[in-house]
Amino acid sequence: MATRQLSRSALAGGTNHEGFLRHRNFRWLKIAGGLCLVSIVAYLLIDQKPHPNGGSAYGYTLGTIGALLILWLTMLGLRKRAMTRGRWSLKAWTSAHVYLGLSLIIVATLHTGFHFGWNVHTLAYVLMMIVILSGMYGITVYAALPRFLSNNREETTQTQMLDTLRSLDRQLHDAAQPLDAGAAELVRRSLEDNPFGGGLWQRLSGNYPKCPTRIAQLELRRMARGMRSSVGADPLEKVDMLLERKESALTLIRQHLRYKALLEVWLYIHIPVTFALIAALAAHIISVFFYW
Amino acid sequence: MSFIVRQISRTAEGREIIRPREFDQEVLTVGRDTASDIHLADLAVTLNHATIRQLGPDRIRVATEKDLPFTVNGRTTSAMEIPVAGGAEIRFGSHRLMVSRDPEGGAGLIRIDVERVEALSDASEAKDEAKVFSLAGKMPSKRAVAWGTVIVVLLVFLAWPILTAFQSQGVKDRGHGFHADQTWTAGPLSLAHKTLETNCQACHQKPFVAVRDDSCLACHAGVHDHGDPRRLAVAKAAPAGFDKIEIAFKGAFNIPEGRCVDCHLEHEGATRMPPARQKFCADCHGSLSTRLTDTEISDAADFGTAHPQFRPAVAVNFDGPSPIIRRVSLDQQPKEDNGLKFPHAMHLSTTNGVAQMVRTMSGEQNWGQSLQCKDCHTPDANGAGFRPVTMEQNCQMCHDLAFDKVDGTIRTLRHGDPRQVVAELRSYYGSHGVARPPILGGMGRRIPGQGAAATAAADYYLAVGHSGGADAAIAKVFSPGGACYDCHMINRATNPYTLNFEVHPVRLPQRYFKLGWFDHRAHETESCESCHSAKKSNSATDVMLPGIATCRSCHGGESAHVQVPSSCAMCHDYHRGDGAPFATRTGNGSTSGGEPVANRGGMSATGRADPSPVTRVTGGRRAAG
Repeated sequence: MATRQLSRSALAGGTNHEGFLRHRNFRWLKIAGGLCLVSIVAYLLIDQKPHPNGGSAYGYTLGTIGALLILWLTMLGLRKRAMTRGRWSLKAWTSAHVYLGLSLIIVATLHTGFHFGWNVHTLAYVLMMIVILSGMYGITVYAALPRFLSNNREETTQTQMLDTLRSLDRQLHDAAQPLDAGAAELVRRSLEDNPFGGGLWQRLSGNYPKCPTRIAQLELRRMARGMRSSVGADPLEKVDMLLERKESALTLIRQHLRYKALLEVWLYIHIPVTFALIAALAAHIISVFFYW
Repeated sequence: MSFIVRQISRTAEGREIIRPREFDQEVLTVGRDTASDIHLADLAVTLNHATIRQLGPDRIRVATEKDLPFTVNGRTTSAMEIPVAGGAEIRFGSHRLMVSRDPEGGAGLIRIDVERVEALSDASEAKDEAKVFSLAGKMPSKRAVAWGTVIVVLLVFLAWPILTAFQSQGVKDRGHGFHADQTWTAGPLSLAHKTLETNCQACHQKPFVAVRDDSCLACHAGVHDHGDPRRLAVAKAAPAGFDKIEIAFKGAFNIPEGRCVDCHLEHEGATRMPPARQKFCADCHGSLSTRLTDTEISDAADFGTAHPQFRPAVAVNFDGPSPIIRRVSLDQQPKEDNGLKFPHAMHLSTTNGVAQMVRTMSGEQNWGQSLQCKDCHTPDANGAGFRPVTMEQNCQMCHDLAFDKVDGTIRTLRHGDPRQVVAELRSYYGSHGVARPPILGGMGRRIPGQGAAATAAADYYLAVGHSGGADAAIAKVFSPGGACYDCHMINRATNPYTLNFEVHPVRLPQRYFKLGWFDHRAHETESCESCHSAKKSNSATDVMLPGIATCRSCHGGESAHVQVPSSCAMCHDYHRGDGAPFATRTGNGSTSGGEPVANRGGMSATGRADPSPVTRVTGGRRAAG
């Protein structure tokens, strides 16, 4: 039994990787699309006067579906910690999460009946849309960025990147020993610089305009221009070469950090706002029945 | 020996490697230069950074070149004498020099332990890779933000409004300003309820209890019932399909049927309150006759497709003192017995004598080339209907009742009072007796002889004989060709030889439809002729009301694709009053959102009575002669 299961799953997994978006030939896209279509058709057929609204029978139906969907979608946070295979595999779950999550745009918008205002109801809707939009961003970067990330790394691991930097730092440190105080200070600043420093914006943009390594290199070159003596033997030459290598190592790391930041940043919106949404949803539902 | 310098380094496992070197000299040099006595491979240290001079067996002085800073026991300085006995920690860049008296050496031997205490570079420090390569640390923690926002949202949008709601219970007016439960609003209130915008508790009285009619009745005290509740119960159709499910749900959630708010929806925007949907009427009225078998009301469900022909209330028999009013379908071409003779066609003609008279009087009356409808029919105060046509206002300028002129003043017969007419005529003829010739007596001079007197006497008696014409004049005025007879039905009393004339009373209808409502002002873009064929009407008995087909050329049911989709509430009122129905009053009759008609009379709750009666009966008096 166990072997049969194993072989089947091995076959199903196969060599061709099927991502969660294409899972089972877009099964969940079809299901979610069907849900949207039915919702829209029913919305158009039901002639709610004077305006469609969340308090009509159809409004309550859509609201119930939407609220249950939101709660179920949130469960991915728990579910993802257990990676399993089969019909209810994590991949199937994630696929459903994505497509049913997108279908909420239709279900919840129709539930509103296009009534918006400065109230807890619209707050819940806006929070939900923020969660969905951040999720859409997440899907987009998950689809596009890993390729860039691995191209950038060129088969090196994060540990190797850090080791390269440490090795360069050691070499720089040694090579800079004969330098005078001013030049040594420039190199020291490069060494003291935290390669993982900078704020969120620098992580996302990859721009580090005050990079001490680059400044050290520029300054040392400027200094060297005046007092070049024996080429090659000059410790400045070696330091310059090492700084250049460090800068290219830093560029690699920073690009890596940028891609990783772009891949991660949406979760810092998606997850906390989901919780805020559930709170707002609770307030929305309770308030509606409190002031029925 | 003066100094023993011990260079300490550590292996990866943390084991110490000590390389001691002894110096028998007074001064030690410290610097990055490899020739220094204490060589510090430290870029924060200059090539020749400092000197350590022994001042005595227990005392050293540390001084840097060019005032470079270093720290002694945490204090920054550039030169300092240090007692060795107590030990001291000197920091140059990333290196630490621990100065102490060497316990094994003799007096005056000073030990200096040199160790690098900071990593060579930032990158060389130990790093938690999983953390530094991720955004953690650059963003606030997801968990903290999640719980923080959850608490804020629940406090601001749930706890605070609930607290406010309980505090507001029973409060009549909370006044303007912000109240936390307003964040729960489902949309702006209608214009009529705008003042309740800050008083949620006015309608939402109990938590988790749907709005009850009591909330509405607190202000709308005088609302008319639609009908006898027992008959209403019979008239109601049994719910079916989705309605059944809806009612089951409502029952489960303690929401009674037939609440005010079922029809009068709120929070639908700051506009006039939308009228009840056609469905609410059609549910019962669509097949009313099947349940309420004795009803006189015809079934109606949709104006465009399921509405009976109009049945105006017309006077079908006016032989007695008051007419018999009966609702007759326009399909049966009812005849109105109103007691008048009035051919509309003759009056509206552009070519006949009437038109000629109009032209001669056009300057004085502000008329055109012929009579127009508006020349006689003046809109009433609210424009929905017309003021009653009266002899004085609308007829007398042509049909004048003048009979005498005294010193330039014209005397007219009094309209509406036949006895007075008779009295006036008799008086006229009485006061105009023939003067007696002087020749027939008295003291005046006369022509000699009897011949003249005889002639005068003959003439006088002839004149007197003819002057008794009052009876004839009275008979004439009430007979064909006479002033009264032209317009009125005259009943001659049973004895034709007495002058007992009787003018038949007149009944001019003010409203043909008691249960429906028609607003002329809403139709002022139409010409009168497009609905009323007055120009072809040769008899006052014609009921010139347009049939339903004419209305349907513009109006259809609530969701019909016609010029003016019209729900029942456009013409009919659920809470029956005599004024305009709710939808017309509030200008919400058309679902296509046309211009509001006008607000005629405020809330139906006031039960405003229409000042104009349905019929107006005038005349009907006897002219006793």
